[in-house]
Amino acid sequence: MLTVENLTISFRTDEGRVTPVQDVGFSLAEGRTLGIVGESGSGKSVSTKALMRLLPGNAEIGAQARMRYTAKSGEEIAIEALKPNARALRHLRGGEIGMIFQEPMASFSPVYTIGNQIMETIRLHRGLKGQAARDLAVEMLTKVGISNPDARVDQYPHELSGGMRQRAMIALALSAGPRLLIADEPTTALDVTIQAQVLDLMRDLQRDLAMGMIFITHDLGVIAHIADDVAVMYLGTIVETGTAREVLKSPAHPYTRGLIKAIPRADRLDARLEAVPGDIPSPSARPSGCPFHPRCAEAIAGLCDRATPPEVTLGVGRRVRCHLHETRAVA
Amino acid sequence: MARFLIDRLFGMVVTLFLVSIMVFVIMELPPGDYAERYAFRKYSGTGVTMTETDVQAIRVELGLDAPAITRYLDWIGGIVLRGDFGPAYAFDTSVNNIISGKVWLTLGLLFATLIVTYLVSIPVGIYAAVRRGGFADYGLTVFSYLGLALPNFLLALVMLYFANRWFGASIGGLFSAPYADAPWSAAKFWDLVKHLWLPAAVLAWSAMAYQIQTVRATMSDELGKLSVIAARARGVPEGRLLLKYPARLAINPVVSTIGFDVNRIFSELPIVAVVLGLTELGDLLLKSYLDLDMNVAGAILLLLTVVIVVMNFVSDLLLAWLDPRIRLGG
Amino acid sequence: MTDTPQTRPETAAERRERRQRERYYSASQWTLIWWRFRRHRAAMAAACVLGLMVFLGLFAEFFAPYGTTERNRDYLSGPPQIPKFCDDNGCSLRPFVHGTRTERDPVTLRAVAMPDPETRRHVHFFVEGQPARLLGVIPIETRLFGLQDGARLHLWGTDQMGRDVFSRTLYATRTSLSIGVAGVLISFVLALVIGGAAGYFGGMVDNVIQRMTEVVRVIPVIPLYMGLAAAMPKDWSSTQVYFAMTIILGLFGWPTLARRIRSQLLSIRGEDYVLAAELAGARPARVIATHMLPSFTSFIIVDLVISFPYMILSETALSFVGLGLRPPSVSWGVMLQQAQSVQAIEQAPWLFIPAVFVVLAVLAFTVLGDGLRDAADPYSEAR
Repeated sequence: MLTVENLTISFRTDEGRVTPVQDVGFSLAEGRTLGIVGESGSGKSVSTKALMRLLPGNAEIGAQARMRYTAKSGEEIAIEALKPNARALRHLRGGEIGMIFQEPMASFSPVYTIGNQIMETIRLHRGLKGQAARDLAVEMLTKVGISNPDARVDQYPHELSGGMRQRAMIALALSAGPRLLIADEPTTALDVTIQAQVLDLMRDLQRDLAMGMIFITHDLGVIAHIADDVAVMYLGTIVETGTAREVLKSPAHPYTRGLIKAIPRADRLDARLEAVPGDIPSPSARPSGCPFHPRCAEAIAGLCDRATPPEVTLGVGRRVRCHLHETRAVA
Repeated sequence: MARFLIDRLFGMVVTLFLVSIMVFVIMELPPGDYAERYAFRKYSGTGVTMTETDVQAIRVELGLDAPAITRYLDWIGGIVLRGDFGPAYAFDTSVNNIISGKVWLTLGLLFATLIVTYLVSIPVGIYAAVRRGGFADYGLTVFSYLGLALPNFLLALVMLYFANRWFGASIGGLFSAPYADAPWSAAKFWDLVKHLWLPAAVLAWSAMAYQIQTVRATMSDELGKLSVIAARARGVPEGRLLLKYPARLAINPVVSTIGFDVNRIFSELPIVAVVLGLTELGDLLLKSYLDLDMNVAGAILLLLTVVIVVMNFVSDLLLAWLDPRIRLGG
Repeated sequence: MTDTPQTRPETAAERRERRQRERYYSASQWTLIWWRFRRHRAAMAAACVLGLMVFLGLFAEFFAPYGTTERNRDYLSGPPQIPKFCDDNGCSLRPFVHGTRTERDPVTLRAVAMPDPETRRHVHFFVEGQPARLLGVIPIETRLFGLQDGARLHLWGTDQMGRDVFSRTLYATRTSLSIGVAGVLISFVLALVIGGAAGYFGGMVDNVIQRMTEVVRVIPVIPLYMGLAAAMPKDWSSTQVYFAMTIILGLFGWPTLARRIRSQLLSIRGEDYVLAAELAGARPARVIATHMLPSFTSFIIVDLVISFPYMILSETALSFVGLGLRPPSVSWGVMLQQAQSVQAIEQAPWLFIPAVFVVLAVLAFTVLGDGLRDAADPYSEAR
């Protein structure tokens, strides 16, 4: 239902051009969940904002980029070609693709009630007004497991708890009836116990409503819990893709391996956690060659710091960008 | 909310009490007292020689020989209990008599000025923030610097000068000649409205420059907020989105500074009044200072401050009404 | 962890960049502020304008051809005389102005000074003038420029009493700026004491001070100043009035700065190093002065610069309506008193020149303050 190819995004800034996303491509089949993993600054949020055309004014999407989305009506939409503020784009935002953000408090406007904002969305996308819109809003709140929804609907965001707000945010996104839900680190700001509840809720809702879902996180544990497929991003490029099961079981890229080692596990409590060494460089100081080589323990001098690794296909839907695999394939 | 109201009301009363003491001190500051000035005014040039005993007699007659605390209590008691501001020595009548006709005029001028200020600064500030970095934004930055640098009374002079050159007309004053002393009528009111715009624009000048900057800064902040991006991601049309989400919050700092604006306007009032020939409280305040009729001056200073304090309270209420976080939080 | 296996020698450009970076990292806070400030063109220009004003005002005895009360009875309300090199009678290497003759205006019958195109008065530098004391001490008789043989040059014209507007403006610049400086200093000291006490002690002291601040903030400023100024005895000398004015302006200028100091102090009140200083037995004043204030000195300086315009504008406004400085003192506001009505400006627009100085000075202080604030704010670079 969604195919993204050659997506490059750059920002014009005072210090010159910065390119936080380079040549990204992925696809999503109906009813499946794609997890995008990466450290902060890897370009995962920026990529999904491009899908909704939500990038700020100084951002540019490369001319080669193709974003194809199949709408509810079966029509195929070229997202990159939509005119700003066009009716079709407004329908796509919310009506076709819903979005949930990391900070539930900041995503709601503090001066309107939860119900006001949900009903606004319902009016815009479902054409319901007055009591009908209100009834649907209450129904949505019930669906996301908010107790006493009749009262909650008239409350302001600051009167709800963190977990409750995130549920309300989900209800808000779903109230427009989207076919695809993009969740940008929706559980990061929550307590661990509430995290699990929200994750379960999202998985159930996705199944019930047969939506596609793109789930952005920096936590591979969350991926294991919720995603069918996974794409690992590093410094604006996807370094590894595959089904969640395969990638977690046999990671091909040194970066993915590093991330997996960094997950705390109950059966290895005595073992030290291994963080990926070093910091993620800023997109303006992108290393030459493979962007990961300065942090990579297996980097091949003279190759990894010079040449950008090509994408190597390891199996069906399983690809990796790493010289190690290239050389193995050659050898 | 009730607690919030009671808190604010109590604070207001305390502030007003302290203000009244301060105003009283200012009234007491000029050297000599009313008895001397009264005697001087009444008898200078008449050939009557006033002795210190005569002055003392006047002093006793006017109750000026009492200690300051008694006189303060007398003064403030009269105001609070009977709405009586005492006698106006220099004008040979009561303070109430002199100021009563001008209070409404001054309030009218104040509200006209506030309306001009907000009608201009809110939309313009929002526009500048949305078109940030554009030509309009740049022009407004220059304008707001000028708004700070060119004091209102000089602006008034410049405007009068050009009005005189281009239209050959004097545009000062609050009324045309036939209406100046006429009783109130619909025609007189309309005449006032026609005259009011210029002083209102002049008085609004610096408050406007300041508020445009405030609105622009807040709006710029709000535009980048996640709640705006989230609303856009829900497909809310752009124009409606700007008004409902960031603009609604961008007026909060304006509402919270209404008191400051009133203060600023009243502060400039006496000086602008001189230039534009306005016959309201500011003008009267200056005259009574120059005549050292401190009863009139004190009454006006107190009244202006009361209006400011009340407007501060109104601004608190408006803010609570606009922002549920304050309303429900405190 | 794994460094790039590069052993290539660094190029000259790279070395220069590395040196620059090292210099940057080791620079002190004030050096950094200065570097950032230098990049702010408008603020640098504003600083130059102010510098020039201060310079001209400080040495007004040398730059101004005449004193503040010297009258030219033959040139009342005379228009500006612009030195020129050419006229209908040919050119001259030395700039000159035309002489004047007095005529009666045929309509109003007022005596009007008219330029006489037949006579030329040459402008000379370093001419003899009335004896004066530079900076109040050094006696001088030389002026930067002027005419010879007792003739007078009025660059910016004269007022109704025949006094030279140019000279008076220079002296007024000195008065107005010095009142600003004194007012700002007084309010700074008050702010330091009041804000310092509120921020350091907190609690009850803070509450009481907050109430007081509220009262001062709520009374309209100019009417308040007017009340105090009106109370000055009429028989005070102009020097007494001058000092009284600085005190009046300073007395109520402190609330904004006091608030800043208070909130900053409250926010660093709980820091460990403050506690350490207290445990070591330092007294409150010392803790505030040596341990707490330095952490936000730059902000205080910015606030001081920004409060200048209010002082200058207040003084101008008060003097303008006759409640401030009194003649023979001369400030911008005192000069503008003569330009209170449209008629006055119509007849002699040059009387409005001091207003240009007011606007310029306020503008310069505001721009300078903005530049300093940007420079002092460590986050301004992250934008």
